[in-house]
Amino acid sequence: MCSSARSVSVVVVIEVRELTKRYGSALAVDRLSFTVKPGHVTGFLGPNGAGKSTTMRAVLGLDAPTSGEALINGRHYARSPHPMHEVGALLDAGAVHGGRTAANHLLCLARSNGIGRARVTAVLEQVGLGGVARKRVAGFSLGMKQRLGIAAALLGDPEVLLFDEPVNGLDPEGIRWIRELMRSLADEGRTVLVSSHLMSEMALTAHRVLVVGRGRLIVDTTIEELEQRYRRDVFVRSPDDRELARVLEAEGARVETPPDGGLSVHGLDAPRISELAFGAGILLHQLTPRSASLEDAYLELTDESVEYRAEGAAR
Amino acid sequence: MTDTIASEWWKVRTVRSTYWLLATVGAVFAVGCLSTVLMVADWDTASPSAKEAFPSADMSPLVLPFVQFCAGAFGAFALTSEYGSGMIRTTLTTVPRRGLLFTAKALVVAGLTVATGLVLTFAMLGGAGVIAGDRPAPIQPWPSLADGVPSALASAVVLTVTAIVGFGLGALLRSAAGALVTLTGLLFVLPVAATFLPADWSRPVGALTLNNLGPQLAGEVGDPVLSPVGAALVLGGYVLLALGAGAFSVLRRDA
Repeated sequence: MCSSARSVSVVVVIEVRELTKRYGSALAVDRLSFTVKPGHVTGFLGPNGAGKSTTMRAVLGLDAPTSGEALINGRHYARSPHPMHEVGALLDAGAVHGGRTAANHLLCLARSNGIGRARVTAVLEQVGLGGVARKRVAGFSLGMKQRLGIAAALLGDPEVLLFDEPVNGLDPEGIRWIRELMRSLADEGRTVLVSSHLMSEMALTAHRVLVVGRGRLIVDTTIEELEQRYRRDVFVRSPDDRELARVLEAEGARVETPPDGGLSVHGLDAPRISELAFGAGILLHQLTPRSASLEDAYLELTDESVEYRAEGAAR
Repeated sequence: MTDTIASEWWKVRTVRSTYWLLATVGAVFAVGCLSTVLMVADWDTASPSAKEAFPSADMSPLVLPFVQFCAGAFGAFALTSEYGSGMIRTTLTTVPRRGLLFTAKALVVAGLTVATGLVLTFAMLGGAGVIAGDRPAPIQPWPSLADGVPSALASAVVLTVTAIVGFGLGALLRSAAGALVTLTGLLFVLPVAATFLPADWSRPVGALTLNNLGPQLAGEVGDPVLSPVGAALVLGGYVLLALGAGAFSVLRRDA
């Protein structure tokens, strides 16, 4: 089965097949299948409790799937001969022993894969923690711990990077930094899978998105396609609204008249509307294709699958 | 394997608990020496008949129980510090082969405990010799220092086995509190509880506790329940059980 996946021209690096994970009676991941390819950032999106972290833990071999499997480069990660050179992961920034200094924490990890002190110093500089290398991790803010976790993921110069909610706790400068970092890692041909519950964040970083809810895959698409799919209407303003509406409806469009003026046109795209108006000698003041924001698209997609919701929260 | 051991060794060296435990061992040894000095001074002024009733200047019955607990705690912390902080998940992403990780950790725990144990037990042997000077038995524990060597070696072995038992408990229970409570039960409650058993049971059960295996291993007990070989087998059983249960937990359960 793997050989068929590999014979096609695009390499599949992460492959999740029919993955199911049950914790007691709770179904965290439900027959989830997807692949992640190298060369761009893939966003892994879903509300809290959708199964993103569980899936990532299964990919890394930390949790054993109830059924199905998760492979990296066609094999289980637990059998990787050079783990840190193959995969770097940041799952939980708090998963560090607070008593160690930043440098010693990284050195513990580096030594297990024969990586030297020079590389530790280099990644600490890269993530901006050079100045606190000798400080105990217990005193770090969440943002600093995120940077330390990213440093750990980068130690082995890996081909595959998994980041679970990496922007949590980062300041705006830090968010921009990690966005650029993830993109540059992908541009170098690496495979980057990054989870988030914020569509707005992914819209700026990811090329492709996997949207999950209640442990199932809802959508696997590119950001571009998602924007296309949720294109809603074209908003038109004209001094001669009524005549324009008649012309457009004659062409098969559905036209609504919002209370604050203008026309909301469905079923025709902006160039065609402009042509028809021009043909009929009608002046246009505004012609705006409108899409639902990605945020709206995401909320609509995951609405059914939100696990935790405040009582009476607005949808 | 060498890399994994180097990593685990660095972990042990970079947490404060290791140094606190070593400091505790040093402090307990100092207390042992002090109390032995006081006892010998008391002996010097005692009447000849009272001198006959003195215990020996061997400080290990006083020192070893504390150090045994430290060794067990050291073994337990090797895993509970990782499970408690979540560090284990970071560790397992860098060393995904769990058997390798478990083995490397066990070797580091055993190695450091053997080394510390030997230094301590021989320091106690030498210390007792120096403090007792040329005074006669019974305050003099050994006819010559060489006669105390089997006992010192046996104590170091028992300390190491205790560290492995603590390690297994840490792997199994994943919580420092749980591991330490169980360790306390094994080291301090069980030997006492054994004395409350019916007479036919109390001696054999007592002989199986970690505290009592050392002297039997050294062949220092008159009329022992276990021969040195028997004691060695029981200690081996402790190691097998602790490592087996610990490995099962680390290898099979989700991290």
